[in-house]
Amino acid sequence: MTVRFQDVSVGEEIPSLSKVVQREEVKAYADASGDQNPLHQDDAFARSVGFPGIIAHGMFTLAHLTKALTDWLGDPSALLQLKVQFRAVVFMDETLVAKGRIDELDPATRQARLSVWAEVERAGERVLPIKNSTALVRLG
Amino acid sequence: MQVVPLNPSLVGRRYQEVSCPVTREHVERFAEAIGERSPIFRDADAARAAGYADQVAPPTFVTVMQIMASAQVVLDQELGLDYSRVVHGEQEYEWRRPVVVGDVLTATPQIAGISARGPNEFLVIESQVHDASGETVVVARSTLLSRGTART
Repeated sequence: MTVRFQDVSVGEEIPSLSKVVQREEVKAYADASGDQNPLHQDDAFARSVGFPGIIAHGMFTLAHLTKALTDWLGDPSALLQLKVQFRAVVFMDETLVAKGRIDELDPATRQARLSVWAEVERAGERVLPIKNSTALVRLG
Repeated sequence: MQVVPLNPSLVGRRYQEVSCPVTREHVERFAEAIGERSPIFRDADAARAAGYADQVAPPTFVTVMQIMASAQVVLDQELGLDYSRVVHGEQEYEWRRPVVVGDVLTATPQIAGISARGPNEFLVIESQVHDASGETVVVARSTLLSRGTART
């Protein structure tokens, strides 16, 4: 069941989606995606390039953001475009929150453009691993 | 270590076709890894009941092809990319239809751009992903950021 055009308005946020980033999941992502960069698996390597430990793949974070969109839409074919910037890393055991807000609605095409982003809270600060990013979706 | 800028004459270079048969086992592993439990991504019958041809691959499943594509680009000696300096800067997708189990996807990755901003360089790799009938399924553009390699 797709979200209907007449049921949404500009400024509305989509339901946010949270998860705790776990090492086992990041390892499973490395195996499923084929991205075996040691930065995402080997703490000693990650420390050698200046991080306190391994970081999640950017695409792992993006997969979570995409899931927030398809959970909301209910239909993956309604997701037309996504354009994101990776702006901060994500560490293990952090809580990753994916969010989106409707910026534009086009009645002619029944499409919506959203700002989308991902947040983590780190040392009391809000950090945005994905920001300045947009999605284009088709509504019912 | 000596810092060498990327070779800008490689804009437009195409690499070998990469191919990915979309298997149920691979879609299962990918969906599990990203915590995707919606039935259309996990169950062929549920997906068919919802109008899809088969179990649906999550939209970012095509990252599998981008990894294969970028491996070729990274190994291109003429490009001069030092992978230890690379971070994933931007990602863009244009989906034409969902990928489903049974699709055989192919893509011919291409260097779509090389540019510099401040101390960093930006390498854009574009992959138009086609199905077995030749239809475009998704266009993926990855921007890799090469830290500190711009000529200053």
